[in-house]
Amino acid sequence: MTSHVLEWLGAYHDGELTAGRRRQVEDHLRDCSTCREELESLNELSSLLKADPPSLRTSPQRFAAHVQLRLPHQAARSTRRNTGQLPRWVLGAPLALIGIWAFLQSALWVASLVLAADWALGPRVMFFSNWITAEGWLGSMASLFLLHAGLLIGTAVLWATWMAFWWAWKQNLNFELSSNQIQKEV
Amino acid sequence: MTSTYGTIEEVDDRDLIACAQRGDRQAFTELVCRHQNGVIGLIYRMCGDPQQAEDAAQEAFVRVWQNLDRYKPQHSFRSWLYRIAANVALDSLRRERPSTELGSLPLADASAGPEQSAEERQRAVQVRKAIARLSPPLRMVLILREYQELSYQEIAEALDIPTGTVMSRLSTARSQLRQELLVLMEEA
Ligand SMILES: [Zn+2]
Repeated sequence: MTSHVLEWLGAYHDGELTAGRRRQVEDHLRDCSTCREELESLNELSSLLKADPPSLRTSPQRFAAHVQLRLPHQAARSTRRNTGQLPRWVLGAPLALIGIWAFLQSALWVASLVLAADWALGPRVMFFSNWITAEGWLGSMASLFLLHAGLLIGTAVLWATWMAFWWAWKQNLNFELSSNQIQKEV
Repeated sequence: MTSTYGTIEEVDDRDLIACAQRGDRQAFTELVCRHQNGVIGLIYRMCGDPQQAEDAAQEAFVRVWQNLDRYKPQHSFRSWLYRIAANVALDSLRRERPSTELGSLPLADASAGPEQSAEERQRAVQVRKAIARLSPPLRMVLILREYQELSYQEIAEALDIPTGTVMSRLSTARSQLRQELLVLMEEA
C-alpha cells in the first residue's frame, strides 16, 4: 500500500481538492481502513458541530430595522466617499510623468550611443553625425547634456504644477468637509 | 428595480450591491436580511453571547454600508462581508472581555428551542465550550468553514491569509476539537 492520504482528508471532506488529487484520495480510501476511519471522524465532527444552530433573539425584520436606524445619514456617506478615495489622476499623473521621463531618457541614451558608434567608425561613415551641427564628439555630447538637463527641469516644473493642483484640491475638500460639519451641527 | 425584476427577493446580490452603492437603502436592507444570519452566527460563535453578537452584527452592517464604495464586484461579496464581520467580532472580543479565560465564556443559555432534549442541550453546551477554548485565529477559520461554509479561497480573502494557512489552521482546530469531543463523538 502507498502512503496514507491523511493530510488531504480535510480538504477532501471540504470538497476543496482538484479532480486529480480527489481521484487519488478516493482510490486510496477504497483500500485503506485507517484513512476511511479518519474521514469518518471528520464527518462526525462536522455533524456534531452543525447540530447546534444559533439561537437568534431578534426577528430578521427587526434586526434589519435596527441596522437601518443606525445607518449614518446619506450626506455623511457621500462626503466620506470623497475623502476615502483619491481621484485616479492624483495617482496616475506622477506615474505617467515618470513613464514619459524614463522613455525620453532611454531614447536619448540610445541616440547618444548610436552617435558615439557613428563617430568611432570614422569620418567616412559619419551618417548621423553630419546633421548635428556641433563640432565633433564633444559638441554633440554637450548638446546631449543640455537636452538631459532641459528634460529634468521640464519634469520638475510639471511635477510642481501637479503638486500645486493637488494641494488646491485638498484645500477645497477640507473646506467642503468643514462646511458639511457645520451644517450637521446646526 | 421592481419593474424589471418583480419583487426585491428575486434580485441577485450583485444588483442589490450596485443599488446600495448608489445609496439605495431598501436594497441594502434586503442585503442585511439575506446575510444577517451568517454575520450574527459568526460573531455569536466567536464571542458566545447572543445579545453582544447582535449588537456587534449591527455595527458590522453599519461598517459595510459605510465602506460599500470600496467593495469591488470582482471579489466575493461574502469574503468582503465576513472580513468586516470578523474584524468586528475580534474587536468586540477584545473590548468586552480582555482578561476572561476562553473556557469560561458565558455561553448562550442553550434554550434554542423546546424541541431540543436535555441531552441535546447538554451536548450543544459542550460543543460551544470546546469551540470557545480554541484560540481566536483557529476558531475563526473553523467557524467560517463549518458554519458559514465559505470556501478556502473565500476564507483566505476574508482573513487576508494564504490558503495554506487556512488549511493548516483548520486541521489544527479540528484535531483539537476531536480530542475534546471524543466522548460525544463516540456516543453519537
Ligand atoms: Zn491510508
